[in-house]
Amino acid sequence: MEQLIQELKEHLIEELNLEEITPEDIDAEAPLFGEGLGLDSIDALEIILILEKYYGVKLANSAEAKPVFYSVKTLAEYISANRK
Amino acid sequence: MRCFIERVVTNHDVTTDIKVLIPDAGLRRRMSRVIKSAVTTAIETVGGVEGIASLDGIITATGWGCLADSERFLRNVIVDKEQLLNPTPFIQSTFNTVGGQIALLGHNHCYNVTYVNRSHSFEDALLDAMMRAEDGDSEHMLLGAFDEETPSQRRIMERMGLFRKVACGEGAMFAIVGAKRNERSIAEVSTLAFPAENLSHEKVVAEYATDERTHVIYNNYAKYGLYPTSSAQCFAEAVKLVAEGTPEVVIYNEYFGATPTVIVVRCLS
Repeated sequence: MEQLIQELKEHLIEELNLEEITPEDIDAEAPLFGEGLGLDSIDALEIILILEKYYGVKLANSAEAKPVFYSVKTLAEYISANRK
Repeated sequence: MRCFIERVVTNHDVTTDIKVLIPDAGLRRRMSRVIKSAVTTAIETVGGVEGIASLDGIITATGWGCLADSERFLRNVIVDKEQLLNPTPFIQSTFNTVGGQIALLGHNHCYNVTYVNRSHSFEDALLDAMMRAEDGDSEHMLLGAFDEETPSQRRIMERMGLFRKVACGEGAMFAIVGAKRNERSIAEVSTLAFPAENLSHEKVVAEYATDERTHVIYNNYAKYGLYPTSSAQCFAEAVKLVAEGTPEVVIYNEYFGATPTVIVVRCLS
């Protein structure tokens, strides 16, 4: 799980162009949207692509997006449970 | 028909840190190189984001548009087989991204148009500004032009043999254009012409210069490189020369030996 969290942080930095942020700066349990990294709805679309592109994971329904997208840790847990 | 120039800034003049000009990190991180270059030049021109609100016209010009984002989007279409397309390069690849970003930063809902007319783009944008000034539709406009070169675009154009004699270039330029002369005016645009055929240096002088001290900028590719809106850099140079005391500057520009344009910038009479 730790390795997956580290990898996810690297993908987020790369794909979302997070300037001057290193994986160490990202708290895996902090909220991704609003506070924390302050991501927005366009970033949510980019994260959906990260899940599909790197892990083959598709979000089954939009209702589960909010808890899954809460933090890096919740994303990693969802990937672990659903990756093929 | 004429208009008055209050300030010109090119991307080379911008020394303020981008984080000061665009404090919102969320906006900044989505901007590609050309968008950063153009938007920071625009903000520097109006004296900070707060200067955008007072504009009653934002007119931009680009020949190539946001090339890097367009290339990234097209590459994604091919590599990912038209699936999993990232939204950011798609959104940012449109030609009016820069005009839109400027308006969004200043919460300004004024007239906002982008001209994408190949090597006439800047001149058409200038014509629009002059017509709006003449008709009283706008009094305080932001006029700008931008283009970027990318490695793949340069490689393709070089293979076509287009840059054998001149180098490719890129740049951004913005100017504050007023309909009426005021205490901030530094120069006026007195003539904008689209000659039907190419003109020699001598003919340009004979037809457009009205003063024996007139300075002529004739296809100045050596200085700025060749790209669709390179005449905007010549325009900035002309305005600066006039502000420093040159009575008149005539800019003559061709693009790959065609589509000639003439802009005459004069001192305030």
